[in-house]
Formats: sequence, C-alpha cells, structure tokens
Amino acid sequence: MRRLTSVVTIAVLAALLLAACSSSPSTPSASGSGSGVPTSGTKQAGGTATWAEAPNTQPNYIFPFMSLAYFSVANINQFQFLMYRPLYWFGNGAQPTINPSLSLAQNPVYSNNNTTVVVNLNPYKWSNGETVTAQDVMFWMNMMHSDKANWAAYAPTFIPDNIKSLTINSPTQLTFTLTAAANPYWFTYNQLSQITPLPVAWDITSTGASAGSGGCSAAAFGKEDSKCNAVYTFLSKEAGYDPANPHATNNSLATYATNPIWQIVDGPWKLSSFDAAGNASFVPNPTYSGSPKPTLAKFVELPFTTDDAQFNALVGGHVNFGYLPLQDVTKPTTNPLVSAGNNPRLSGFYLAPLYTWSINYFPENFNSTGDSGNAGNIWKQLYVRQAFQYLVDQPLYISKIDKGYGVPTYGPVPVEPTNPFASTVEKSNPYPYSVAKAKSLLSSHGWNVVPNGTTTCTNPGTGASQCGANIPAGAKLAFNLEFASGNASQVQLNNTEKSSWAQVGFNITLSEASFNTVLGNATACTPGPSCSWELENWGAGWVYAPDYYPTGEEIFSTGAGSNSGSYSDSTNDSLTVQTNTTNTPLTQWENYLAKQLPVIWQPNTVTEMSEIQNSLRGVLPQDPLWSINPENWYFVK
Amino acid sequence: MIGFIFRRFLQAIVVVVGVMLIVFLLAHIIPGGAARAALGPRATKAQIAQFNHLNHYDQPLLKQFWLYIDGLVTSFNLGYSYHWNQGVTTVILARLPKTLVLVGIGTLLALIIAVPLGILQVVRRNRPIDYVLTSLSFVFYAMPVFLLGALLILYFSFDLHWFSSEAPQGATVGDILSQPRGLVLPVFTIAALTIASFSRYMRSSMMETLTEDYVRTARAKGAGPRRVLYVHALRNAVIPIITLLGLSLPAIVGGAIITESLFNYPGMGLLAYQAITNTDIPLLLGTTFFATLATIAGSLVADILYAVADPRIRYAK
Repeated sequence: MRRLTSVVTIAVLAALLLAACSSSPSTPSASGSGSGVPTSGTKQAGGTATWAEAPNTQPNYIFPFMSLAYFSVANINQFQFLMYRPLYWFGNGAQPTINPSLSLAQNPVYSNNNTTVVVNLNPYKWSNGETVTAQDVMFWMNMMHSDKANWAAYAPTFIPDNIKSLTINSPTQLTFTLTAAANPYWFTYNQLSQITPLPVAWDITSTGASAGSGGCSAAAFGKEDSKCNAVYTFLSKEAGYDPANPHATNNSLATYATNPIWQIVDGPWKLSSFDAAGNASFVPNPTYSGSPKPTLAKFVELPFTTDDAQFNALVGGHVNFGYLPLQDVTKPTTNPLVSAGNNPRLSGFYLAPLYTWSINYFPENFNSTGDSGNAGNIWKQLYVRQAFQYLVDQPLYISKIDKGYGVPTYGPVPVEPTNPFASTVEKSNPYPYSVAKAKSLLSSHGWNVVPNGTTTCTNPGTGASQCGANIPAGAKLAFNLEFASGNASQVQLNNTEKSSWAQVGFNITLSEASFNTVLGNATACTPGPSCSWELENWGAGWVYAPDYYPTGEEIFSTGAGSNSGSYSDSTNDSLTVQTNTTNTPLTQWENYLAKQLPVIWQPNTVTEMSEIQNSLRGVLPQDPLWSINPENWYFVK
Repeated sequence: MIGFIFRRFLQAIVVVVGVMLIVFLLAHIIPGGAARAALGPRATKAQIAQFNHLNHYDQPLLKQFWLYIDGLVTSFNLGYSYHWNQGVTTVILARLPKTLVLVGIGTLLALIIAVPLGILQVVRRNRPIDYVLTSLSFVFYAMPVFLLGALLILYFSFDLHWFSSEAPQGATVGDILSQPRGLVLPVFTIAALTIASFSRYMRSSMMETLTEDYVRTARAKGAGPRRVLYVHALRNAVIPIITLLGLSLPAIVGGAIITESLFNYPGMGLLAYQAITNTDIPLLLGTTFFATLATIAGSLVADILYAVADPRIRYAK
C-alpha cells in the first residue's frame, strides 16, 4: 500500500511538472486579441470594478494638502480626487486641458490687465450637507499661506506669494488680486490648479471639535497663520504624518475609512475600506452633487509590488482594469495611440495605450568638472548639444525598442497626447537623425572627428570655427552617462544611443545605478571637485502636473529647483517670464527651447498599456494626467 | 544550559549592534540618500535640506546611529517610513505574521513530507522508487523558485482554474487565512523546494546512521526493522534537519522574496525588497534588524534542539 502511495505521489508530481511545462496558452477571444474596443451590450447598474494600482506605488496619504513625500499620482489623481475634487479639474477627454464639467468652479475671469481674477463656484455639496463655498477655498489658501513649506508644489514667488489679496465676495465668489500681471493660461493651469477646497468641518484642531473652531477657514487671507498651522498639524496627524516629529508612532492609516473627517467628501466616492498595503474600496457618495453619478456599486483598488504579479492577477481574472507589462506586448504597432493586438493570454480584455502629459529627457551638467575639467564648458556649446541630439534617432528607438508604443520628445512641450500647446516647429523635430550633420557641426568647430574613437579639439578658441570658450586643445568628447537600472528597454536604449554617438567620436561610458541614485546624483551643483557628473538619465523626464501649462519654469529657468543640469540662458529666462506674465503665446519660448537643447530630448515610452475587461465600459478615453473616473464606468451584459 | 543561553544572548547583542552599524553606514552612503528617494525629482535643495533636518540626516552619522539605537531601546521605535506613511515597527509587525503563516506552513509541510520521504528512500534504496524520488528531488532542488511558481500558476490557475494566481490580500492574518485557495500555490512553491532539500539530507543522514555500531548492536539484539529505524536511528538521523530548521528561521522571518513577489503576497520578503528599491533607509534597517534577530535566534534554537535530540551533547558551563 505504501509503495502504491509513493508511486502515485511521484506520478502526480511528475505529471504536474510535465503538464505545467507543456501548458499551452488559452485561446484568445476575438475581442481580446484585436485593437477594437467592444461596443455591444446592455448597460448594467451595480457591480464591483477592480482596478490595479501601478507596481509599488500604493496610496498612502488622504489629506489633499501634502508635502512632497506624498505628492504622487497614486495619492492625488487615483485616490484623493475620487473623494475630494480640486477647484479646477484638468484632463478633458484625452486632452490635458481644463475640464469645466468636472471643476468645482467656472472658468476664472481675468481683468485689470490680468491682475484681478474672479472665481465663481459651481453648486456642489459636501456629503455632510454643507455647500462648497468660497470659504472652503479661503481655507485652502490660508493653509497654503501658513504652511507653504509643507505644500509639495510650492515654489518661491509663485502661489501664494504672488497673491496680494484674496477676498470673499459672496458664498460662491472670490477675487484674487495678484502682485503682478499674469498670463491667464499660466495662472489658471499652474497656480489655481493647485487648489482643493476643504470643508469647514475640517477646520478643527482636535477630534470632535466644532466645525470652524480652528479659526483658519473664516480668517482673512494670510492673517491667521498660527491657527492654520495648528489645523494643518492636526489634519496631517490624522492622515498619519506628524510634521513636527515624523518618527512619532501613529496608526492613522488604519482609520482612513472610519475617521469621520475623511468621510466628508464632495467627490463621487467615499472610502469604505483601506489598509496600509494600499487595498482601497470605495462606494458611491449618495449625496454627490456633480455629474455623472456612479453606476458601479463598488470600486476597488488593488496594490501590486511588481508588474508580473499584476499580470498574473489579470490573467487569473482578479482584476477588471489592469495593465500589460511592456515586455509582454506581443504585437508591435505602427500607431502608438492604437494597440496592434493583445497578448494571447489575455482573452476577454482590450488593450489601450496611455500617454501621460510628460516629456522625457536627460540633463547634461553645464557646470561639470568631469572630462578633465572640460565637460561643463563643452556642454555649454550649442553646436555640441546639437551634434549629440542629431544622433538620437527617436522614431527608430520607439519602433524597435518600444515596439511602437512610444512618442518622441522634441522640445519642452509634449507632442502627445494631443494638445493645443505643441507647436508645428516642435512637432516637426528640429533635429532629425543625421550623422552627417553631427559630424559637420563638430568638424566645422575645430574638432578632429574620430568615428568609433574619441573626437578631440584641435582648434581651441572662441572664433566661429573654433571649439569654444575655455575648451583647450586636446579636450575630448568623452563622457560618463549613468542611467537608471532595472528596465530592459532603458538598457537597450542607452546602449543603442552609445553606438550612435560613437559614430562621430562621442566616447560615452555607460554605467547603471538605481533610479534613486541617478536622481540623487543629478543634482545642480556649482563647478568644483564634487560637481563631476556629466550625464544622468533617470528615464522619466518630467510630468507636467500640477503645472499643466507646460512653461517649464521649474525645470529650465536659471536656478530653478529642478534644473538639474544648471542650464542658464537669459533669452530662455526672459521668454519664460513672458509666458508666465503676459499673453505671449507659448510657441515663441517653446520653439526657442526645443532648439536650444537645455537637455537631451529622449523618446517617451508609453506610460501604461491598459488592459480593460471587455464588459467594463466608460473607461476610454483615458485621462492624460492619469486620473481615474470610475463614476463613468459601468458593466454591460 | 541557562549559562550557555545567557552567554549567547550577550553575544547576540554585540552581533546585532555590529550588523546594524554596518548596514546603517552602508545605507547612508547611497548617493541621493533618503531625501531624494522620498521626495522625488521635483525636490528642490531647500526641500531636501528641510527633509534632512527633520529626519536628523544632517547630523553626524554616529550621532544618527546613536539616536536610532536610543529610539529602538527606549521605545522600540525603528523610525518612520515615508513610503508607507507609517512607523517602521508598525509596518513590520503587520507583515511579519503573514510571512510566518506562509513560510511557516510551507516549511512545516515540507518537514512532514520530507522526513518520511527520506526514510522511504533509505528503506527502498537503490530501487526504482529511490531513483525516481532522487531524480525528482534534484529537479526541484535545481529549479529556480520563480520558474516553479510560474509553472504552478500557468497550470493550476490559468489552465485548470483550481487555485488563485494571487495570494490572499488583507490587513490581518485572519484575512489571509480566510482565503485558503489563494495560499495553496505559494505554500506549495515554498514547500516543494524545501522538500527536495530536506529529503536529501534525511536520506543521507539516515543511511549514515544505519551504519553506526549501535544500530548493528540493536539488530543483533533482535530489534525489528521498524524499531531499529524509528526508535534507534531516526532520532540521530534527524539532527541535520534540526540544523536546517534552525537556519530556516531567518527565511521564515525574512520571508521568501521571490515567492512573495510572484504571488503578490504582502510579507516580509517583499517588504525588504521594496525597502531596498525605494531606498527606504529606516525600513531597510528595520527589516535587517528583524532578520538579524531571526538568524541569531535560529542558530540558538538549533543549538538547544541539538541537546534535546541528543542527550550526549552538553554545553560547557
């Protein structure tokens, strides 16, 4: 009997192993394998939609006024916005523009040479029955005034510093008086975009206190900083973070779904359960005053630590809306916006590429003392940057490395998703791939071009045909490029580019490091021994949010906080100021900077290959700011 | 024995502090540091400076370490994880029981299967069943865990739909245990590889034990095969397994990174992995602290179990 048992056990184990090895993929369904989005079926009320969070990026902060540590898409666009609506909603269909139908206020009205801004609120309600009023906006603005250092998007001289006064004209109207004239587009898209009205019920400094007792919401603008700071501190602690003592123990995350504070919402959803791992469930807010109202009975967000684990859950049927890891894309596309075909294992799903409102680039260090002290001076030469950019064949890389699912970056404004800001000059690619032009630029400026070797300066000086200021004879085009590891397509891209640059003697030494290390190294520095990094590529460029109007003052202006490479150009600074303060169109600045190459423009890989169950509708078009609107979703039969 | 345990305990404190100091220093020389990791590419110099000040990262390293140890000793405070917006102790204590469940069940299952399997191979040594089991052991022993896990998912989840490809999710162990179908594949993944290893050790150890003089004596005195096997040989043969079990304790506490990752199981292994990839220094130190404790405890437990299993083993006073 024992022998029989043993034999059976062995046979079963062997059979399982063999069966697993020989397991064939499921047969794809017609709707799951093609690019077509299903349209048939009858709309059903109710149901639970389960949505996969991006790998290793779970929501962990519920209070909309947050420091940079919590300022993420996972927290804002995919968690808080479901419950707490911003004053202005950006993302209108597939375009990164203002969406009046989802905004809490009507489009702002500018007057007095664009120094006065009047905001009229739409009739929205909080779930506790209160109306969303001008006082709620003032509450936010007062907190921004008292705790600007704790507001993630704060930059000196910008909001709230550029607000001279803010007055409440009526429960539904406020007037912002600015310290100087502002471009209406810029002020609406990059300044007012940061405001999220807060309910007066949150204006407290202890649990159970009466609404407004904190004294922040009713105060005149900027007049009660200490009271607002106390309210901010209390609410932050309720959200899990003690601004004065981050190491203090608390268990606030476990109370997110039960804390009465966070249950007061003006959005279409209420949190019904939440845990620290990022599992979040929402149910419709029965008193939601906006439109559309949720059709689903429940919306669930699931955390995943890796995209492989998510893919397994997707195939296993645990997720209605997930994503296909790019490495699992089986059919390349010729149109980055349209899927060529689904992975055969994913029957019953349709594939939809999502491109967020972002650009991809990596900085050169204009102050670098690398390359024997010459790197910074070499990068300051526009012709060198042009030669370098001419050798970046973005369409080819997108086609071959990203399987077609990518869009090029030709300047500071994204060319995709479709938007009203990208100029024709930028779309046309000012620096199309050309080895001959790259070689000519270097040769004509006094460099001895050595293909597949190291090009050196043979004619130093500042003349038109010479290498340029502070570049000595013998200076080499030899640089170190550190890039973020962990992504196969990044490795392939950087190696391919290295080969391309070598064609005119750019001798690039590649090295890999973690994303955080690359980011940490790509820090603006002044010339000196510790400022030796030359090129740092973290692979993600910049996402324009909440600076939706892509004026780039935070990344390209002289001394800007995220100007990693210390790019400095007076014309750019002047044009940037113009785009912020006058009605000057974006085009002038955009075209200038696209050609100036303050950074090396890189292809922008698709943000997500969304996988949506055939029976789940109302999902498309996806928001380019990666917000999710499950109130639009519904199941069909 | 008590003196032995006390001495080992004192040694353990030194080892823990030493390990923590090394990891602390290594973690703090990572370029970019915790501030850039927590704040991301948008962080300005001023924001980074504010962050560093608030979290004492602008203090000399040894002072930072002293503050860390002080917090640990006085209030068991392992710091704060920005990535999780929670205290490190809270995060770890939420994950630890889940890993204990997963790896504990897997190891226990492996033990229950591997010991009889090893004995069976000895009893039937050099017969077809022994060859087959030996071959299978080698296959599983050599098989990378990610491959075995992926194969199990492919077959049992995707094709047969018997078990879930995703491990149970939830805040508590109760939530995890309430979804047993989700536990089957990750537990089996861990168990299969452990069975392969344990059964090989058991087979070798038992074969060696059966050649001992006292076994021959037992046989000569007329003890039957079963008595020889289970009463005389097994107790000594199982000693290597005790060592293995002791050494498994760090894995039980530290979690099985790949298995947890493959099945999206919210355990300690995955937590440590995330701490590394997120440059979450306090969490990295916290998981290291627990893994160090487990390593020391595992080795101590093995030593004690030796004495229990074999009365001839005594420890110097």
